[in-house]
Amino acid sequence: MRYLTFALAKGRLAGKAMDLLARLGVSCEEFYEPDTRRLIFTDEKNGFRFFLAKASDVPTYVEYGAADIGIVGRDTILEEGRRIYEVLDLEMGKCRMCVCGPESSRELLQRRQLIRVATKYPVIAKDYFYNRRQQTVEIIKLNGSVELAPLVGLSEVIVDIVETGTTLRENGLSVLEEICPLSARMVVNEVSMKMENERIKTLIRRLREQIRSERI
Amino acid sequence: MAAGGKMKQNIHTPEGVRDIWGKEYAERLVVTERIRDVFHRYGYQDIRTPSFEFFDVFSREKGSAASRELFKFFDRDGETMVLRPDMTPSIARFAARESEEELPLRLSYIENMFINRPHLQGRLKEFTQAGAELLDDGSADADAEILALTIECLLAAGLTEFQLEVGHVGFLQGLFEQAGLSSEVEEAVCGLLEKKNYFGVEEQLARCKVGEEYIQLFTGLSELAGSAAQLEAAASLNLGDRAGEATRRLLSVYRLLCYYGLERYVSFDLGMVGGYRYYNGMIFRGYTYGTGEPVATGGRYDNLMEQFGRKAQAVGFAVIVDSVMAALSRQKIAVEIPHPQALILYVESQAEEAIRYSRCLRAAGERVRLQRIDRTPGERVKAAYRYYAAGQDFEKLILFTQSGVEEAEL
Repeated sequence: MRYLTFALAKGRLAGKAMDLLARLGVSCEEFYEPDTRRLIFTDEKNGFRFFLAKASDVPTYVEYGAADIGIVGRDTILEEGRRIYEVLDLEMGKCRMCVCGPESSRELLQRRQLIRVATKYPVIAKDYFYNRRQQTVEIIKLNGSVELAPLVGLSEVIVDIVETGTTLRENGLSVLEEICPLSARMVVNEVSMKMENERIKTLIRRLREQIRSERI
Repeated sequence: MAAGGKMKQNIHTPEGVRDIWGKEYAERLVVTERIRDVFHRYGYQDIRTPSFEFFDVFSREKGSAASRELFKFFDRDGETMVLRPDMTPSIARFAARESEEELPLRLSYIENMFINRPHLQGRLKEFTQAGAELLDDGSADADAEILALTIECLLAAGLTEFQLEVGHVGFLQGLFEQAGLSSEVEEAVCGLLEKKNYFGVEEQLARCKVGEEYIQLFTGLSELAGSAAQLEAAASLNLGDRAGEATRRLLSVYRLLCYYGLERYVSFDLGMVGGYRYYNGMIFRGYTYGTGEPVATGGRYDNLMEQFGRKAQAVGFAVIVDSVMAALSRQKIAVEIPHPQALILYVESQAEEAIRYSRCLRAAGERVRLQRIDRTPGERVKAAYRYYAAGQDFEKLILFTQSGVEEAEL
């Protein structure tokens, strides 16, 4: 049997996804070993292989077929815009992509003034402002601590993920507009979906049932 | 230029294009020749069209690549030229010029295509496609012939484990008409179906208040993928004229493919979305292990030629040779290449004999490489020559020196 290879987005999501798979009988003890230096974990029984990757690289691994399946947030999928199948909403890691800023920026937004937008997600920001709002903005790409930008005058607003909104509130920022809801997704390579159709379809069906049963 | 500084010469190729030579190129030639042979055995005529044409030929409605992904340049009159991103529009243009012949045209080609892809994708911008087009034939028989031809090309290339996934553009269009969706919703749903995102389809349709039965239908499309049995099941459902027609058409294509004895290489997916804008009937993609992308694509395009001034039905496909070669190497399928037979080395005084001898071998069809050397080699140098010749897959090494002729089998 060929291994089915999973690329998991590093961090909390990977742990949650492995727990979900464990409840379906996927046993991969190597993954839970503390301080392991191993890069690839296997579940011989099911013929599954797992590796951890930076979230923004997961769609790339899947598009090129280096991984058959990926588990990653919808934010990354939208930002990367790769040619991959998005087959299942895992309903975990739920949050929202929002335009945020100080209350004073709300008026600037509505008056459609030329404003500066700081974000880690330039593709999503561009699509939202250009295509949905038909508004010209200046987008500034940052790599972290985006909340800082309006505080120090780098930009008027930011586009970022909002989970609870605590960080925003602590810094005097609020959600001005919601762009879209986000959650973790299972993505599949186009060729794998065809060549390993039965195994992947079964996995999707079982995961969907598991997620539904846990929802209620 | 700084004093004494020499201009730095770029000896690497630009991103996305590369040199192919030696064993790799030999293998590729063997594979493309086998494919060309299949084309000929199906009675296809070779065609060659220009590498670049007027922009109009590949414009949005006709093209397979987005405008920004085309390599464009201007000629001396300021006309925009495009390096072809695929062959089908060029062939449609050519065939539109030809007056209708008594029988349909069958054309095949193996040529390079050019797509200006974004940077740092690790993808080739110049790649080879081997393809065929069957023009002026709207029958299911033509569809089946193109599928059979694709399968035989992949088999001839040496692949054994592959699948063609076959769909029909008319099926989804029929369902969209039936459900009365607006063109925006239709586009959104198409985008989601292309990503096999059925939960997204469900959300989208629920949001625009589409009847429950259609939501069921669209989200159930994944169940209408698989063998011909699923196709029969879909045909028995009442899905409206257009979708029903598409299903029945695929069933007759399947029946014909059974006569070819090649049905085990195809499966069906009625939820498949056509890749190129010009497809209007049967569409398909070929998949195999070891590549993340399809190795073949094809479909029917009955409305393309009309844009060039003549109405004609047509169907065609292309195999992406670079992907096939990658798949062969990753699946560890060896390609037998013809070996060079003799390496002949000679010193100056033996030139006449060596040249005459190699002429004889070459006349007999052997592959001979002839090289003058400066002096009669000693034992150590001879061993080095033997090692070199063996490394280059020569069968024998022949030395012409003053002390006579020495032949070593390798």
